[in-house]
Amino acid sequence: MDVALSKNGARLLRAFFCFVVIFLYAPIVILLIFSFNDSPVPTFPLSGFTLHWYRDFLENADLRSALETSALIAALSSVGAVVLGVLASLALTRRRFRGKAAVSALLLSPLVIPYLVFGISLLLLFHRLGVPRSVLTVVIGHIVISLPYTILVLAPRLDQIDASLEEAAFDLGASRLRTFRSITLPLILPAVVSAFLIAFTTSFDEYAVASFVVGTRVTFPIYLYSALRFPNQLPQVIAVAVVVLVLSLGVVIAAELGRRFAERRFAA
Amino acid sequence: MAIAEAREPPAPRRRRLRLDLTTPSLLGLPLVWLAVFFLVPIAIVGAYSFDVYSLDPGPHGFTLTAWHDFIHSSIYLRLFWKSVKMSLLVSAIIVVLAYPLAYYLALSGTKRKYVLLLLLIAPFLTSYLLRVLAWKVILGDHGVINSFLFWTGLRDPDHPISQLLYSRFAVMLVLGYIWLPFVALPIFVSLESLDTRLLEAASDLGASRLQAFRKVTLPLSLPGVFAAFLFVFIPTLGEFVTPSLVGGTSGYMYGNQIVDLFGTGFPDWQTGSVLAIFLLLVVAVLTVVFGRFLQPRQVTAD
Repeated sequence: MDVALSKNGARLLRAFFCFVVIFLYAPIVILLIFSFNDSPVPTFPLSGFTLHWYRDFLENADLRSALETSALIAALSSVGAVVLGVLASLALTRRRFRGKAAVSALLLSPLVIPYLVFGISLLLLFHRLGVPRSVLTVVIGHIVISLPYTILVLAPRLDQIDASLEEAAFDLGASRLRTFRSITLPLILPAVVSAFLIAFTTSFDEYAVASFVVGTRVTFPIYLYSALRFPNQLPQVIAVAVVVLVLSLGVVIAAELGRRFAERRFAA
Repeated sequence: MAIAEAREPPAPRRRRLRLDLTTPSLLGLPLVWLAVFFLVPIAIVGAYSFDVYSLDPGPHGFTLTAWHDFIHSSIYLRLFWKSVKMSLLVSAIIVVLAYPLAYYLALSGTKRKYVLLLLLIAPFLTSYLLRVLAWKVILGDHGVINSFLFWTGLRDPDHPISQLLYSRFAVMLVLGYIWLPFVALPIFVSLESLDTRLLEAASDLGASRLQAFRKVTLPLSLPGVFAAFLFVFIPTLGEFVTPSLVGGTSGYMYGNQIVDLFGTGFPDWQTGSVLAIFLLLVVAVLTVVFGRFLQPRQVTAD
């Protein structure tokens, strides 16, 4: 006898699970259907198959440049966040020092700050310093909000690997940097890749902070937000939405499979 | 020779000592970054709220006027309370919905639980705005639901169900939709680390499944439930994007008020800073009081 669930209970929960999954994916599927619908407004009945919303989107220079800006910001900020995250995680897992609890609370605190408040704070900082808003100001903000995510991925991985391997290398005369390069980094590489992907997708999708510190080169979420206010661009936006959703789902699944593959190889 | 030296007992100890001196070089950069681009900016918002800094030229200095006005204003506090109620309701509903999902994944013995978990969480990892956009397309007066009703003749095209979009209902539906997958995660983690031998023991001692659930499973999974609740409540309380896209006037939240005070129309940075700091204080208190549930490692260890 199963102690947690009766047979009927399991059946009921499975049905509920399926129902919720359908609820979660239905809006995405509806977007997919209307992205191929030959009508400028997304309404029933469907009026025929077309690809011209996708063609419009490819020809829309503003949209393409917004995607490029977001990719650039995401790339820069995720590299920055991963570098800071590796440094912080090494200190948290490999060093003993006073005030560690406070330091780790500070490092993780951007997780719980309302992004709205953080966005305003950065805006006021740059305003006081007289720094013009640009791609760089968004990158600075995104590094702050991605940093705790990278630590949450990297620190547990560092905890798992045997610190005596590093000590052995060190005792055998390898420098600190050399030890990190030839022992630690290869062992945490899967976690570094996950951390990078999480930071990248966080930045690519971030609207709240960016909306306060963005310069003249708008990011993709900011472009989307303003496009949502003009109904005539809706079908095009839906087409982009579908492309981005499918791509990001693909990245997520690939990252997860890759991480598990790598961990299985290490475990073996 | 190097090996022989390294084997001598005192040598490693001396090197360890040097190791400890490298801690500042590891922590320096992350901490300076957070100090300059996270703590100082928040302090500046605080300074604006006390009129130490001001947008307007002219004389200004430390004053509590804006805070006094805020505490005695019925508008801002009522709006804050409305947002609290909306966020509480959304968080409570989706935690209740997510619990059975997590329970099914963790305890039904299904072999593909991680695949199913990924299936559940994947929508959360896709674009936030695009998921809001999907609901805008679905709920509008000429959106998917209404046009479907017109098409099938269930509703007259002159009378769409207009409460669907630009309402408090729309804001709560979309927020619930967005956060539901994420909420299942901490609950799943706490249920998965549950020692099922406890359930076997309960059953051997004559407890029914319901009793075992009430006395064993539920209490042991509460840290995950609290974590899930806070992980939704905190961000939805400061939400402004979803209400501004699907909320209309009746779905207007505290966050929208803050944005408007910093907006281009009639900016009032001082009042806006007071509202922002107040929100931050509420979140900080919640985090400190319930902080132990938010520690990811403690959630797994409980």
